[in-house]
Formats: sequence, structure tokens, C-alpha cells
Amino acid sequence: MTAQEQEAIFRRWLAGHLGLLLKVVRGCAASPQDQDDLFQDVLLQLWSSIPAFRGEAKETTWIYRVAFNTALAWRRVERRRREGQERLLQFEVSPRVEPSHVESLAERDLVERLYAAIRQLPKPDASLALMHLDGVSYQEMAEVLGISENYIGVKLNRIRKRLAEQLKGVIHEL
Amino acid sequence: MSFEDLQKTWQSHNPGATVTLDADLLLKEVRRNQHHFWSMIFWRDAREVGVCFLMALFFVYCAARTHDWTPYLIVLACCAVGGFMIVDRVLERRKQPVLNEALKDCIESSLRQVNHQIWLLRNVLWWYLSPFAAGLGISGAIAMWRARHAGLAVTSLAVYLLVLAVIYWGIYQLNQYAVRKTLEPRRQELQDLVAGLEQN
Repeated sequence: MTAQEQEAIFRRWLAGHLGLLLKVVRGCAASPQDQDDLFQDVLLQLWSSIPAFRGEAKETTWIYRVAFNTALAWRRVERRRREGQERLLQFEVSPRVEPSHVESLAERDLVERLYAAIRQLPKPDASLALMHLDGVSYQEMAEVLGISENYIGVKLNRIRKRLAEQLKGVIHEL
Repeated sequence: MSFEDLQKTWQSHNPGATVTLDADLLLKEVRRNQHHFWSMIFWRDAREVGVCFLMALFFVYCAARTHDWTPYLIVLACCAVGGFMIVDRVLERRKQPVLNEALKDCIESSLRQVNHQIWLLRNVLWWYLSPFAAGLGISGAIAMWRARHAGLAVTSLAVYLLVLAVIYWGIYQLNQYAVRKTLEPRRQELQDLVAGLEQN
């Protein structure tokens, strides 16, 4: 694979799945600095993984695997802030919100609380919660995690209960 | 609110709306980081094996200059340790965790790697310290035995072996500290992750 081909795939994945990557990053790291650091690690690993991609797995399955595996291996205590590195991400809420993307403040608050609740879960459960919320099928979740589909259902029930407990007062039933 | 409503809210939430990203800068950073990562790995390996290689060269030079065979014992120890490091690194690189594997497989590969690191450091006495100790000890003993004053030779040898033992004890303890401080907590963390995935 040439460098140009690798770059083209990387740009295509970034354009198509940036939302997925950001949700994984925000679900696994709390502060903007940590999110920035983890995001860079995820992108680095994603870039490195491209030559091995043969299209046997779905693109999203591949990207989820790389992102979650990187997030599992990533640890705050070992994070390395690179010298002279520029911040690649700005997670601050934009003051001007386009009318087509209007999210009510209540919805935004709910999503923020949900991220906080997901970060409280053990990492494998957080991975499942993020995929479940994104509407990923049981089969794909099983492929990403490497466990049977039967386990997925049982685990999701428990995760939904934990999320409901943590979001008590905001939502009433999961 | 039902779970379906929550899913809808989640999916309609667009994290991209609050993010500014310069794709060209990003690509530059990714390439720079990858280069940095591989050069770091290369120089770490080169440093470890390079020290053995330089020591071997130095003692070959000593042996050639003094027409004495005893420094070759240390050369042999350097070759044994350096060779072991190279073989181990090559074998381990083949078994490195691949991040596009399923999470469970990747965690198990990391766990196996951490277990191997623990094994290496726990057995540092046998594969690292003993060959050098044997080489340095025997060649030192022979050199001192050749000294004319037997009493002085025995005293020097005792001091030499004592200093060697203290240094080696320090190196051994340092390695065991690294196991306790870093590797065992990491192993526990990975075991918990595997258990978390397997737990029904």
C-alpha cells in the first residue's frame, strides 16, 4: 500500500467516522487534555492499522476495535505530552449554534451526564454502552469485543441498570 | 424516558459540532508521532544490545592486546546476553498485541506480554546477571591468582567478589522493584479486564 493510498483511506475514515471516534474518546477520558491525548493515540493507531485492513471486517468494526483497544491500553498516569505539540482538538461548546443543529440545553446536559456515567463504568462495559447507544448490532458488538452474542444481551441489561441508577432523576426508566 | 428515547438523543447529538479539527495538521502530527514511536523503540533496543556489543569489542581488544584468554570469558558472556536479548525481542515482536483484534484477544495478548516481562525480570539472575558474574568472576579470579603475593591475591579477590555481589544484588532488587511497582499492577488490571469481559 502506498503512502498516498494510506492517507486517502485515513482521510475517508476520519471524515466518515469522526463522530464515532470522538464519542469513544469522550466516553473514556474526562478532561480536554486527556481527550486530546487519547484522541492522538487513537488516530496514531488507526493510521498504523490501515495497511493491515483487507476489508474482511466492517470498517466500523475495525475502527471500534482500534479505538477501544487504544483506550484500554491508554492510562492517564503514563500519558506523554509531546514537546511542542499543538492541540488538535477543541472540545469547548461553540457559542454560535447553527439552527440546523439545535440541541436543547436539557438534551446537551443529558448527553454530558451520560458521558460522565459511562466513564464510571468498567472499561469493557463502557465500550459496550457506547456501541449500544450508537445502535450497533449485537453481532458487531460481539465481533468488536470477541465474546459471544449471548453474553452481550446479559451484559447490556446490567449496564442499562447501572446507567439508570447513575442518571436517577434525569431519566426514569431504561 | 425510555432507552430508545435516550438512544435517539445520543445519536442526534453531534460531537463534531463542538470540535474544530485541522486535518492537515492532524496528519502531520500522526506521522511525526509514528516516526517518534518507532525511533524510540529502535533506540531502546539498540541501547540494550549495543552495550553488550561494545563491551564484547572492548574485551576482545583487551584479550588481543594482553595475549590472554581470560577476557574472552566476558566476551562470551556479552554474546550470550546480547544474543538472548535479540532472540527474545524478535520472538516477542511477532507476538505483540494487534490493536485491530477483538478486545478480548488484544487484552489476552497484552497479558501474555506482561507475564513474559515479569518472567524476564524475575529470572534476570539467570539470563543476565549469572553470565556476566561468571565471566567477570572467573577472569578476575584468574588474574588475581596469577599475582605473586598469595595473601594479597586472596584479599583482592574477596573484595572484588564482594563488590560484584553488592552491585548485582542492587541490580536484582531494582528489577524486582519494577515488577512489584509497575508490572504486577498492570497484570492485575489486565486480568480484571479479561474477567470483566468473561463475567456473565
